[in-house]
Amino acid sequence: MIQVINGLVYGSFLYVLAVGLVLIFGLRRVTNFAHGSFFMLGAYVSYAAAAHLGFWTGMIVSVAALAVFGALLDRFVFRPLSREEPIVTLLVTFGLLFVLEDAVRTIWGKDYISVSAPEALSGSVTLFGSQFPTYRLFVIAVAIAVALGLAVWLRSTKVGLYVRASSVDPVTTAMQGVDTDRLSALVVAIGTGLAGLSGTIAGPLMALSPSMGGYIIIDCFIVVVTGGLTSFTGAFVAALVIGQFHNLGLVYVPEVASVIPLLIMAAVLGLRPQGLAGPRK
Amino acid sequence: MSSAVPRDKAKVAAASIAAERRTPTVVLAAGLLAAAGFAVPWVVGSQLALTLMTQAVIHAILATSIGFMIRQNGLTSFGHAAFFGMAAYLMALNGKLDAMPAELAVLAAIAVPAAFAFFAGLIIVRLPALSFSMLTLAVAQSLYELMLRWRGLAGGDDGMAVRLPSRLFGIDIELFQAPSSMFVVSWCALVAVIAILTLVARSHFGVLTVAIRENEERARYVGYHTLVPRALVFALSAAVGGLAGVLFALYNAFVTPGALHWSLSGEALIMAVIGGPQAIWGPALGAVIFFVVKNAMGDLTEHWPAIIGAMLIVVTVLLPQGISGLLNRLNRLNRRSREAGKA
Repeated sequence: MIQVINGLVYGSFLYVLAVGLVLIFGLRRVTNFAHGSFFMLGAYVSYAAAAHLGFWTGMIVSVAALAVFGALLDRFVFRPLSREEPIVTLLVTFGLLFVLEDAVRTIWGKDYISVSAPEALSGSVTLFGSQFPTYRLFVIAVAIAVALGLAVWLRSTKVGLYVRASSVDPVTTAMQGVDTDRLSALVVAIGTGLAGLSGTIAGPLMALSPSMGGYIIIDCFIVVVTGGLTSFTGAFVAALVIGQFHNLGLVYVPEVASVIPLLIMAAVLGLRPQGLAGPRK
Repeated sequence: MSSAVPRDKAKVAAASIAAERRTPTVVLAAGLLAAAGFAVPWVVGSQLALTLMTQAVIHAILATSIGFMIRQNGLTSFGHAAFFGMAAYLMALNGKLDAMPAELAVLAAIAVPAAFAFFAGLIIVRLPALSFSMLTLAVAQSLYELMLRWRGLAGGDDGMAVRLPSRLFGIDIELFQAPSSMFVVSWCALVAVIAILTLVARSHFGVLTVAIRENEERARYVGYHTLVPRALVFALSAAVGGLAGVLFALYNAFVTPGALHWSLSGEALIMAVIGGPQAIWGPALGAVIFFVVKNAMGDLTEHWPAIIGAMLIVVTVLLPQGISGLLNRLNRLNRRSREAGKA
């Protein structure tokens, strides 16, 4: 039972990361290959900021820094390249991945750094008769907050409506008079800000290293594709399922756990090529 | 993009017949190029240079396999190291477990990645190009994690030695590990790969896959099956990537999870992009340029990842067709101005 909750923790945190990619794809029809590096950068920024300002301020700094970075990315990469083939943007963000990883390695070194949970959450609670770290429950709470926040924002605000419209058809949305460039800057900033958030909450869960982005991006990409690329609900379900099984795999068959998400994805895509909740072709 | 995209079955057939007439030229050119390779170790005395050149040629084969996939399927793989590393690990595991003779293992190390790609391809080449790219990276990284964590099988982070018999295909194994002779072996392999892929690209199958790349729906309406040819291109590309992995395993006699890492996939992809995949030989040229630049960087190689990242960004934005695209364009301009001069 405790393992199931652990799987929920991992799935929650995958969701926060993957939903950022879903948002970006909705507006720009491209993906950010450097998303894993943004996640890693978010973890390091909050670690550096937390050393002086404490965990919570560090989290805010990290989210804000990554959001600014995302807005710049949209302005100077996604927007100018939006007329090119999508692959051009993929290659450029892939190049960025190399650059960011090297930058982090140069600044913070390549050794593992461990981060402790904030004091208020460092204890543990009794769940189903065994001890469970409070911090992990906090991660689940963050994911629920993100999911609810996004749902409310997308469903009940005008900007949210534009974002949903654009993820169905960006061209028509722009023709209706929506400034998709400004919208996209906002959405990409939220997407990368969420990468900063997930990097921050990942700190106390896993050790920081420049390669942590390369590890997490596997599951993140699999979640996005399995969920159907444009669907927030699809990403949510896929993140929970894949997070769950990957975690159970790590407990029972640690050697081969890394291929479990792939098998789940192959099964889903074999039955539904458009993903769990993707539009039919 | 290719200049003539056939629109119906007759045109696909006609385009491939026209190309087949040129087959002897391709074979002859390949034979001459391969023969020229034998002279290189005599001309280049330095062991260091030969070591570097051998590495470059092995990577050129991997880059060629990625380029072929882009050219024929319009799909960009960010995880071709999967096939490279898979082949290298198969060689190493066979040495450890003694499952089959090394000659057979070489063939298996090429066939297994191809079969894996074919069946994976049946699922993933149907996806949008973007999803394909994401998943190739995810698959390769999963294999990387698998080999990293499965210490009992493959030594984890430390990697494992590739145990080989003293003779392979009747050739002394030391010849595969000395730069001067291994350069010739790899060079001949590269030339053969480029020649074969050129012939495939010009065949009926090659023209058909380009037609599918341009407009899959139309190809289907004309009456072709489109899924299997695309999966076959992926399989062929994986076989070539596997060949590079086999050569790597023979040459180094050692393999680490690094052979599966995304940075290797990325480097090979960058070579393909620099060289320009629209020409079959483009990625190999890109690999040579890549190694020349890397070598010229000297002390800066500490920041090599940042440099190749920046290189990728610059080339993608400024030179989307790569060097070979640039050369072809210059060639065409040249010809046109000459024709204009005559008129």
